[in-house]
Amino acid sequence: MTATDKSSTRGHAALRWLVAAVFLAAAGASGAFSGLMNKAGLLYLILGTVAAGLMGFSGREIATAFRQAAGQVGRAESLGKSAYFWEAAARNAWILGALGSALNFTIALGTPSEGIGETSSRMIQSFIVTLYGLVLAVVCLVPAMRLAGKAEKARLKGVARPATEDTRPSPVTGRTLTPDRIIGYVLFAAVLVLTIFFLVGGQPQGGPLPIGKVLLHGPAILIVLGGSIALALFMGAGAGARAWTLGFAMTGFIGLLMGLIQALFGFAHRNIAEIAAACAFIISASSLSLLGLVAVAAPLEDREVMDGRRDGPGALSRLFWIVFPLLTFIFLILTFIMVVTPMVKPGG
Amino acid sequence: MSARSMNDPEMDELLRKALADDLPAGVAAGMRDRIVRFRAGKMDEGATSTAGAWYFRRSVWAALSILMLLAGILLQGGRSSSPLSERISEIKTEFVNIETPRR
Repeated sequence: MTATDKSSTRGHAALRWLVAAVFLAAAGASGAFSGLMNKAGLLYLILGTVAAGLMGFSGREIATAFRQAAGQVGRAESLGKSAYFWEAAARNAWILGALGSALNFTIALGTPSEGIGETSSRMIQSFIVTLYGLVLAVVCLVPAMRLAGKAEKARLKGVARPATEDTRPSPVTGRTLTPDRIIGYVLFAAVLVLTIFFLVGGQPQGGPLPIGKVLLHGPAILIVLGGSIALALFMGAGAGARAWTLGFAMTGFIGLLMGLIQALFGFAHRNIAEIAAACAFIISASSLSLLGLVAVAAPLEDREVMDGRRDGPGALSRLFWIVFPLLTFIFLILTFIMVVTPMVKPGG
Repeated sequence: MSARSMNDPEMDELLRKALADDLPAGVAAGMRDRIVRFRAGKMDEGATSTAGAWYFRRSVWAALSILMLLAGILLQGGRSSSPLSERISEIKTEFVNIETPRR
C-alpha cells in the first residue's frame, strides 16, 4: 500500500467518525431524547467499558486496536487480535449496560421516595442504562466487523508485514497480573463505587436502609458464588476461563428461574413477603452473575485469546455473553411488573 | 563386588578416599546409581506432596462451594428477610393500599 493510499484510508475513517460524532451531538442537542438522559448511567458505562478493557488487554494491544480501527494496516494475526479487542469492548458495554440497570433498579427500590409514582419512575429510568449499553456495543461492533473482514482478506492474500508494525511479543503472558490489569481493576472498582454514590446522592436521603445492605442479598451471594465455583471445579482446569463464564452464566440463569418460580408461588399463596424475597433474589443474583462475567470470566478469556492459548472465545461463551444480559433485562421488567401489580390480600 | 558394598555409604566413602585418584569403574557406577536413586526418590516425594496439596485444596473448595450453594437455597426457600426484600414488601403493600379503596 502506498503512502497516498494509507493517508486516504485514514482520512475516510476520520471522516466517518466525525460524521457519526456530529450526528450524535445534534441528536443530543435537539432535546428530542431528553427523556432518555441518565448522566450517571452514561458516565458509568463509558468509564466501566474502558476499565473492563484494561482488565483484559494490555495498553499496547489497546493502542494497536485503535490505530488499526483508524486505518493502519497490519498482518492478519494482528488485525484479528484488534478485531477481537473491539468485539470484547462491545461485549463489555452490553454486559455493563445490563449490570448498570440492575444496580440502578436496586437503588431505585432501596432508597426512600415520596410516593410509589416516583419509585416507579426511577425504576423505569434504570432501564435506560441497558439502552446505552446496546448503543455502545453497536458502536464497538463496527470496527470489530471491519477489522475481522480485513484480517480475513489479509489471510487470503498473505500480506507482507509493514515495517512500522510492532511485532514484539507481549512481554508478560499467562496469569500474571500486569500493571495495566491492576489499573483496570482499580478503575472498575472506583467506577462502581462512584456510580453508586452518585446515584444515591441524587435520591432523597434520610431513609432507614443503608445502601450496602440493600445491594447485598445473602442467599443470592451464596448461590451465585457457590454455584460458579462448583461448576468451574467440576469442569476442571482444561476448560480454562470458559469454565468461569459457564459457571457464572448458568448459576445466574438458575437463580433467575428460581426467583421467578418463587414469585409465582408467592402470587398463588397471596404472600407479599414471598414475592418480595423472590424479587430481591432475582435482582441480586443477576447483578452478581453479571459482575462475575465482566470482572472475572471475560478478562480471563481475553487473556487466553491474546496470549495465543486459544484461537478465540468459545461458542458457548459468546452465547452466554449475548443472552444472559438480555435475560437479565427481561427479568428486571418482570420484577417491575411483579412489584407494581396490585394483589388482594386473602379476605381483603 | 558384593551387593553389600553397593549399598553401603561408609564403604563407598572409604573406597573413594583410598582410591581418590583411581576409582574403580564399578564403584563409580554404584555411587552414580545411588545418587540417581536418591534424587528420583526426592522428586517423587515432592510431586506426590504437590499433587496431594492440590487435591486437598480442590476438595476443600468443592465442599465449601456445595455448602454455600445449599445454604443459599435453604435461606432463600425459608424466605429469609433482607433489607431489599423488606423494602420491596413495603412498596408492594403501598400498591395494595392504593388499589383497595377502588374495590
